[in-house]
Amino acid sequence: MKETPEELHVDELRQRLRSMGYLDAGVNRFVLGPATDRRRPSIIALLAAVRVGALAAILLGPAAAIGLNGRVPGLVTGPRDAFVIAIYLGVFFGAAIFLATFAISLAVATLAAARVAERARQLSRVAGAIMAVACLAYLTLWWRSANAGFGWNAPIWTAFALTVAVGISLLLGHITSSAAFAVAMSRHTDAAPQIRRSSSSRSWMATVLAGIVAFAGAASLLVVTAPREPVAATRTALAVVSSGLRVKVVAIDGIDPHVVDELAAAGRLPALSLALRGAARAQLALDETNASRDPARVWTTIATGQPPAVHGVTELETRRVAGVQGTMAGRTESRLGRSLRGATDLLRLTRPSIASGHERKSKTMWEVAADAGLRTTVVNWWATWPAASAGDGAVILSDRALLRLDRGGALDAEIAPAAIYERLKGRWSGIRGRALARAHAAAAALEWGPPEIRTILMRSAELDAMQLELLHEVSLQAPDLSAVYLPGLDIAQNALLGARETALAPSDVSVRVGALRDYNVFLDRLLADVVRPGDADMVIVLTQPGRVVAEAAGLLGIAGKIAARGDVQARALDVAPTILHTLGVPISRELPGAPLLALFAPDFVRRYPIRQVATYGPPSLQNTERSGQPLDQEMIDRLRSLGYVK
Amino acid sequence: MIAAPPFFAAYQTLVNAELDRLIPDDQTVVSRSMAYTVRAPSKRVRPVLTLLAAELCGGTSAGAITAAAVMELVHASSLILDDLPSMDDAPLRRGQKANHLEFGEAIAILAAFGLLNLAYGTVARTYEPAISGRLTTILSDAIGGDGLIGGQATDLLATDQQISFETLERIHRGKTGALFSAAATAGAVVSGASSDIIRSLSAYAKNLGLAFQIIDDLLDVEGDPRDTGKAVRADLKKTTFVSFSGIHGARQLALELCQTADRALEPFGKRADRLRELSQFVAGRSW
Repeated sequence: MKETPEELHVDELRQRLRSMGYLDAGVNRFVLGPATDRRRPSIIALLAAVRVGALAAILLGPAAAIGLNGRVPGLVTGPRDAFVIAIYLGVFFGAAIFLATFAISLAVATLAAARVAERARQLSRVAGAIMAVACLAYLTLWWRSANAGFGWNAPIWTAFALTVAVGISLLLGHITSSAAFAVAMSRHTDAAPQIRRSSSSRSWMATVLAGIVAFAGAASLLVVTAPREPVAATRTALAVVSSGLRVKVVAIDGIDPHVVDELAAAGRLPALSLALRGAARAQLALDETNASRDPARVWTTIATGQPPAVHGVTELETRRVAGVQGTMAGRTESRLGRSLRGATDLLRLTRPSIASGHERKSKTMWEVAADAGLRTTVVNWWATWPAASAGDGAVILSDRALLRLDRGGALDAEIAPAAIYERLKGRWSGIRGRALARAHAAAAALEWGPPEIRTILMRSAELDAMQLELLHEVSLQAPDLSAVYLPGLDIAQNALLGARETALAPSDVSVRVGALRDYNVFLDRLLADVVRPGDADMVIVLTQPGRVVAEAAGLLGIAGKIAARGDVQARALDVAPTILHTLGVPISRELPGAPLLALFAPDFVRRYPIRQVATYGPPSLQNTERSGQPLDQEMIDRLRSLGYVK
Repeated sequence: MIAAPPFFAAYQTLVNAELDRLIPDDQTVVSRSMAYTVRAPSKRVRPVLTLLAAELCGGTSAGAITAAAVMELVHASSLILDDLPSMDDAPLRRGQKANHLEFGEAIAILAAFGLLNLAYGTVARTYEPAISGRLTTILSDAIGGDGLIGGQATDLLATDQQISFETLERIHRGKTGALFSAAATAGAVVSGASSDIIRSLSAYAKNLGLAFQIIDDLLDVEGDPRDTGKAVRADLKKTTFVSFSGIHGARQLALELCQTADRALEPFGKRADRLRELSQFVAGRSW
């Protein structure tokens, strides 16, 4: 349609002129728009830096959120978490870039003293280049980090990511340069903000050239900083060569091997002696994988066969960022870390949470066994919530299962499959009653000292008894692998002998130590039926010294017809491969440990050589039933009452 | 009405002297025809722009005066051709009869070509090859299909036609803006300025050139021939900026263009004050 002159207004003409290159002196409207009428350099720097910071927040926040998700497994559990994290990081980066731009602008203005037009332009370009290079280096390393060595194995995605990074970096560099130049000019010429024009073909060519150079630099950086270890291998199906044995794992926290040996020698641990002294035993030496007193860290190492740096569960007490469902682990051994954690807690930006499967990056031995088609049951192991079942043959009663059964209500992934919960819920009072009866029966005639000590020990005894009763309830179909974690002794030790404000009198210590020694006897009685192997069973008793006993090794004892005799030195990392090998599951080459063949009878070793696969693949959190009210706070309260959380 | 800035007279004197030096003094009819238009009263905005640009870039008036005069030679040539009966058929130019009415159409055409020829020859003879090469390119671009010639052709074809705003801009860019940009750029080039500075000056001249033309359109509607030195309402058959935006809107846009031109000078600080005065003068001129 042909227009008539009368149809046009000044505003429209103005826009048309702008599109033709008029009414544009090169002023960067986004960056310098609010500052064009102001003459004070500091005000111009401030207003420009705010806009640059806002742009950086929008560009870098989401990118950093993706990177953080790669670095901190379990932090982002869904789109909402990703959005909130992106906002947090956007604010962080926006503030950082704001400060950097403000400082750079004023610095350039100060340095550009004489012959201002020329020097200001050069200096502002240098400032912009520094900003662009720093941003590009960060984004490139972020990409490498986020993909854990993904790198050029996915060239299209990597090229796309680097192209985006180059674009973001050039843009931030350009607007930083613009702001710095404007501030310098205003300081020395009393002029309004202005920057060079950038619409000519030569400018575009220069920009494209800079982009190509930046891309090449980023790609080189990616190659130079690529991790040396090989990238993840392809996962293959696991073929089981079964010996027909069922493996029962009993994990006891807080065991002092010296006490066990002493009591066993005195004949007070007839059941546990079968595994811990009667047959093959390995002492799990203290090393970087299990020296920590943090139970979630140590027991996840045992369950996965990977060190904490790989499996990702580094601490029982994690932090949940406000507004985010996921959690963020982080060692707080340093004073700065503790101060930071305290400050963010005080500001309600973070709050305590408990280590969970969200943080775990490696498969547990029962997940591997279930992948291989074996029936598995696990009860009360650390960091097993949320429970994700591979099918009806894989039963998980997570470390929150007892809490859910006590509280009732709909599942929030405390137990899998969900049908198990429905069955247990209806019978819970009976199960609980039987467990308490067993606990009291086993504790009968034991010297547990004064009432306050007895109360503490009975609390532990009931807790352990309930875990064993639950194991019994869900193991009716004789799983190929069952595992139960008993925390009672560790909890009692921590309550009776753990750190306290006032030192105990020697006589009190003596009474408490004696009571705890008797708790070992209680456990022996409680476990008498469990640790006695049947013909098709192999019982493995695993112990760790817990949070109070210092400098003691863990133990791995085997009882069953394939167990050899002897005492070997091993590592915590060898536990998972040993159990998987017993089940006939091939061993992943990614595991740093190896099956402890010295614990097995020669005939078993000869008939069942170690088979290997490249990888077990990453764990999956699919098939979780999460319709109920989360028990996060209840879990924290319970662990606080048991002494795990300060 | 804003009077010409005080410094303007001195620059005009310099330019006139240089033009006197360059125009052949052989009293042939073509030379007299060339001198007739060149020496007629004029604002000398383009050559003054060249001189100011040169000084801004660290050059001197002496070094840039020839380039400045060359700009005026090209401009005068375009005026002669513009007024021809086959083109705008204008009777009055610079306060006197149009060249073809004084010397006849054929001589006027020859005088116009004589001025163009003189311009190129002067550049070649005055400046060292590197600079003369760049100046020649600048002149060629300003005169060629994207400059004066292209703008005039579009203008002729648009007579009695309803044209779009974009076509109008194309005409003005060719007929006025191109030589404004060339004048500013030439001053910077003879002073050895960097590309950044040339780019800023080019932005200044581009906006100033269009503002100048819009003011021309306004003066055609409401100007006094005694002030403008040419016939008013000669553009009644043409679509102008005033046609699109009205008198008030055209004045507003011209003012904004001049302000934009000023902003393009910010990197130069107070050293560019004379160019700012020039843009203020363009925005408020009545002649």
